[in-house]
Amino acid sequence: MSRIQIAATERSPLVDFDFASGRLCLRGESYPEDAAAFFGPLLQALRGHLGASEPEAITFEVGLAYFNSSSAKALMNLFMPLEDAAAEGRPVTIRWLYAEGDETIAEAGEDFAADFDHARFELVAEGHA
Amino acid sequence: MSGAETTLVAIRQDDAPTGAGPGSEPLVAGLGFEEVAEPAAPRRGGSLRGAGPMRREDLRAAAPFAEAAETDRIMKPGALRGAARGRDLDSLTRTLFLRIYPVIAIVVLLTQAGIAWVNYADQLRLYTERANLLAALTASAIDRPGWERAAGTFGPQLQALARDPAFRYAALKDGQGRIVGTAGETPRGKPWDLVQVSAALESAGSPGTLALVLSAEELRDNAGSQALLALGTSVVLMLAFVATLHLNLRRHVVAPVQRLLVAMRKVEHKHWTTVDLGGAYRPSNEIDAISQAFNSMVEGLRSGDEAKQLLQALERAHAELETANRQVIESIGYARRIQASVLPDPAALTPAGVDLAVLWEPLHLVGGDYYWLEEIDGLSVIVVADCTGHGVPGAFLTLIVATALDRLLHERGLRSPAAILAGLDAMVRTQLRQDGRGAESDDGLDCGICVWDPGHRSLRFAGAGLSLTAIRDGAVARVRGSRRGLGYPRTGREAPPEADSFVPVEPGTTFYLMTDGVTDQMGEPAPGQRPRLLGQRGVTERLAARAGEPLAEQVAGLERDLAAYRGGQPRRDDMTLVAFRLG
Repeated sequence: MSRIQIAATERSPLVDFDFASGRLCLRGESYPEDAAAFFGPLLQALRGHLGASEPEAITFEVGLAYFNSSSAKALMNLFMPLEDAAAEGRPVTIRWLYAEGDETIAEAGEDFAADFDHARFELVAEGHA
Repeated sequence: MSGAETTLVAIRQDDAPTGAGPGSEPLVAGLGFEEVAEPAAPRRGGSLRGAGPMRREDLRAAAPFAEAAETDRIMKPGALRGAARGRDLDSLTRTLFLRIYPVIAIVVLLTQAGIAWVNYADQLRLYTERANLLAALTASAIDRPGWERAAGTFGPQLQALARDPAFRYAALKDGQGRIVGTAGETPRGKPWDLVQVSAALESAGSPGTLALVLSAEELRDNAGSQALLALGTSVVLMLAFVATLHLNLRRHVVAPVQRLLVAMRKVEHKHWTTVDLGGAYRPSNEIDAISQAFNSMVEGLRSGDEAKQLLQALERAHAELETANRQVIESIGYARRIQASVLPDPAALTPAGVDLAVLWEPLHLVGGDYYWLEEIDGLSVIVVADCTGHGVPGAFLTLIVATALDRLLHERGLRSPAAILAGLDAMVRTQLRQDGRGAESDDGLDCGICVWDPGHRSLRFAGAGLSLTAIRDGAVARVRGSRRGLGYPRTGREAPPEADSFVPVEPGTTFYLMTDGVTDQMGEPAPGQRPRLLGQRGVTERLAARAGEPLAEQVAGLERDLAAYRGGQPRRDDMTLVAFRLG
């Protein structure tokens, strides 16, 4: 599978995992009733891609206005294989987008950043859309 | 006139824009005579009524519906039902015939009689003139002085008259009225069969009269045969009229109207049948117009009926959903009573001198937020936990946490917040079987624990994913716990266990333990802006603004503030806040 695209809903984010071009994207809000069911297939696809493909550059853009703790855990699960791939030499960039002034999301980004030693983690403040 | 006819005429008068006038005749006159396919039912009998009783059977065969009882219930007073059987349609033919034909027959008879009479009178006049001429010619041929004695002269003349085929009798009389000579036989018979004329012989000295009688029988015979011819014409005309009327009514009135009636009967039983106009639709044809109006009416009824059925199905589904939802809500309401009874009394620490207020509001009646208050061995223990998920799954986890906490506090006698967190972490992981490979559960909890020792005035805090907030004189301080929560399958990257934090307790300080559901309030965005979380700072600002209020009022006020911030946005998570002041 070279691309996963899921439209955003009220409770789940827009997903656009374009493995072929190495661009992954999550946007919106994330508090699905069953976070494991929503993120499980994404995690599997990501692991499959990382295991099978040449170590080309990957950029993962996360711009969430709200996510619940289950989603936070799921994000962590997505980040881990990326960090592992970065440790093995693949250029990985995480772009953590937050609305300018949204301290909660910025803070959460800082918390996630602490987990990355090899991947590049960018905190990006976005102006009002 | 029967019901069906009346109906037809009434429709015509009301709806047809170019009505010729009331009555049956204009209806026929106004109908188009284009070809219409014969109905499938075979034609029976030749007479006007011949097809009637049989066609009723035909119609039943064409529309095999449930009989009388049901129909009677649906259709009253039954005009349509009777009409649909064809009886009244045949009487339409008969009525038209009885009303039109006598007029035509009388007119034809009178016309023929008039013509015969004129002919007769004309020929009679011609006959008379011919007789006069013959008499005059013969008289002048005979008229010689002394003619009465010259039998050799007038004899052949009289005989010559007999050559006329209509000749009957001639008599020659002298001046004294004596018959001098005759020809033919003295006529017997009725005077109107005879033409009698006379001519005078006026020679000087020998006056006389020639009387001539011709037969008019031929004229009478002519008139008689003409009358017979008129009668025959009337009969032929009648037959032709009957045949034409019957054929045309069948084709252009009865057949299409019967198709319409059969369709109407089907529609009565909700068989949505339209009338096939066969591409021969003409707006000027009233029956075509009625059929088309009927078709649109059937389409309207059909879609209305379908909409009604869909609506009913929807209402049934809605009722079922409502029942199911009510059962679920009742069940969860019951679960809420159980969960609430597991929670401690908010006044549990009042005897220990701890002023405390609680906000506990699950998103869906029950939730994953949990708090515990207990005084043990003179120590006040305050625990706030936020398990993953909310609703029923979250509530299950809180029961695991409650059990584990109870064992840690009472069986193992732990009093250090950090030690309790470590114990919770291990017990939850064991309970959820997260210590093996391929664990089913990826759940855990955030937790913050405070232990207040009033004797030493020491407040110890440890948190996992949960912070302690202190507000004093408008200044906000935050003691952050470790970033990671408790439980969850191990990833090999866990931070080393945290140690207890000793928090200074200044008079006038209010402490808050809150779950992220309190800070994660999504506000109603301004137009063109993205929705924004209230966040830690938003909450503490609002708490600081109410610093002077009693704790219960402060918590209630905060809840109102949060609702105001959300506006139309729904809450995202369970929320729990424990506020306390240490005496």
